[in-house]
Amino acid sequence: MKKTVIYGASFTAFILIACQPTAQKAAVSEKKEEEKKIQVKKEKKKNLAERFKIALANQDKWQKACSNPDQIVPKGIDVETFRKEMMATVKFPEGGVIGKDIKRGEKLFGDPDKGGRSRRGNCYACHCGDPRILACGNIGPSLRGYAKRGIDPKDTYIRIYNSWAIVPCSVMPRLGYHGVLTPEEIADIVAYMHDPESPLNK
Amino acid sequence: MKEKKYLVGIIAGGSFLVAAVTAQEQTPSHLQELLELGMHPGHAYVDEGRELFNTMKGPNGKTCASCHGEDGSKNLEGAYARMPRYYTDIGKVADLDLRILSCMTQYMGFDPKDKKFRKEFDKWSGKYRVPLATFVASLSNGMEINVQIDDPQEEEMYKKGEKLWFMRVGARDFSCGICHSVLAGKRIRLQGLPDPVKAKVYTHWPAYRFGNDRMWTMEDRVRSCFRAYFLFEKKWNEKSDWVKKPPPYSDWVIALELYMKHAANGGVIEVPGLLR
Ligand code: HEC
Ligand code: HEC
Repeated sequence: MKKTVIYGASFTAFILIACQPTAQKAAVSEKKEEEKKIQVKKEKKKNLAERFKIALANQDKWQKACSNPDQIVPKGIDVETFRKEMMATVKFPEGGVIGKDIKRGEKLFGDPDKGGRSRRGNCYACHCGDPRILACGNIGPSLRGYAKRGIDPKDTYIRIYNSWAIVPCSVMPRLGYHGVLTPEEIADIVAYMHDPESPLNK
Repeated sequence: MKEKKYLVGIIAGGSFLVAAVTAQEQTPSHLQELLELGMHPGHAYVDEGRELFNTMKGPNGKTCASCHGEDGSKNLEGAYARMPRYYTDIGKVADLDLRILSCMTQYMGFDPKDKKFRKEFDKWSGKYRVPLATFVASLSNGMEINVQIDDPQEEEMYKKGEKLWFMRVGARDFSCGICHSVLAGKRIRLQGLPDPVKAKVYTHWPAYRFGNDRMWTMEDRVRSCFRAYFLFEKKWNEKSDWVKKPPPYSDWVIALELYMKHAANGGVIEVPGLLR
């Protein structure tokens, strides 16, 4: 029923357009482009519910395991297996776990020029680090003086790539696993964290 | 107590500035101070909402007051204390925002598909939703939250809300519970994490937030928290596949509201709240 109406309407539109002098044709098709864009935008809005549903359905099996009131690995799931499965997802960058671009690592960790903000790494939301950044969270341990702790850079890399390979169901997001950060970006963060000259370690 | 009297004394003396400064030294929070001065910025929304309630006519000539009496005196006192709940006339469990929207579209003749109307309703800066919600909520001030789960639809919604509260999902592996049950009391950056379930914070919603100078309903609050999840449609892609919020008045939002408000049963409503 509805379809006929639409066909009818577009047919009328077709006749109307066909009767336009050519000079006006360009303008009309431009207008059509514009309308198409608006349509796409509308579609996006209309499908917000659909999109949200898909987003929830994207929950992976490990997230599902952690979705209990305690938000920890529940009874019946072996923690070691969980860790191993998470470990298997970790991809390493070709150039090794210590990247070359320390500056970029710092920016991803939290840009000091922006008060420690960073859309993707956003480490300061949960960790303190560079003493100049006062707006830092206390959810994770402080990372001040991190390089002096004698932690293997490879472990730092794994922790950032997939924290659940170390602490299953941790609050710390699995940033590499989800692709929020690329392996190369994580390597740059590792470089920044292990560099003795980094403000983290001063 | 003594300090309070002292403050009032100073204000009565007309020394406004001094009062503000003194208060800051004596009370822990600058917001408490505003409350004591009787300068709650949220009250403007209550007044605006009341005005709309009594005078705004729908396309069919009805006002809110046509059905609910002047100032909601006929049947709206205490209504908010029982929301969200199942309403037979719309066949849905509704929260405050959806209930008001339904009244406007079903009984006052507003067209739910009219873009202009929806803009004025949906947006936080629009004319209708936030002031009306704040006013209607204020009619339950002093009453205890009393959300019952007896209709099967309510039960289903409640279960959905509880599940959603603990559901780890998105590119940051978050859940409501991770921030508000597990990490409650900690700081995300400088922002303290409250526990909406244990602390019965529902008593102060809708709330005026100083940070961005506007009133928020619980719909706004819940939907905004979802932004932190990095929910995605396909593979996580910051630009194209990021799903920021659930749609307004959707079951997801209402289910979470029902879960949180049920936990706040017994708490005494005092709105609008005032947050930093
Ligand atoms: C939402 C919170 C959160 C965010 C964001 C976060 N972390 Fe963490 N982090 C934690 C928690 C909690 C721990 C404690 C161990 C655990 O539970 O995994 C931790 C532990 C760590 C450790 C181990 C510290 C030690 O002394 O062994 C490192 C290293 C680390 N995080 C680095 C980072 C980096 C780098 C970023 C940003 C790219 C980051 N974290 C972002 C919550 C977070
Ligand atoms: C990454 C952390 C995070 C997650 C995840 C999160 N929230 Fe929040 N939420 C916050 C912060 C921070 C505040 C305090 C904001 C403020 O006061 O400015 C807050 C405030 C609130 C409040 C108001 C509390 C009060 O004091 O009145 C409610 C209610 C709430 N959140 C519900 C939710 C729900 C429901 C979810 C899940 C859909 C959720 N939150 C997920 C960080 C989070």
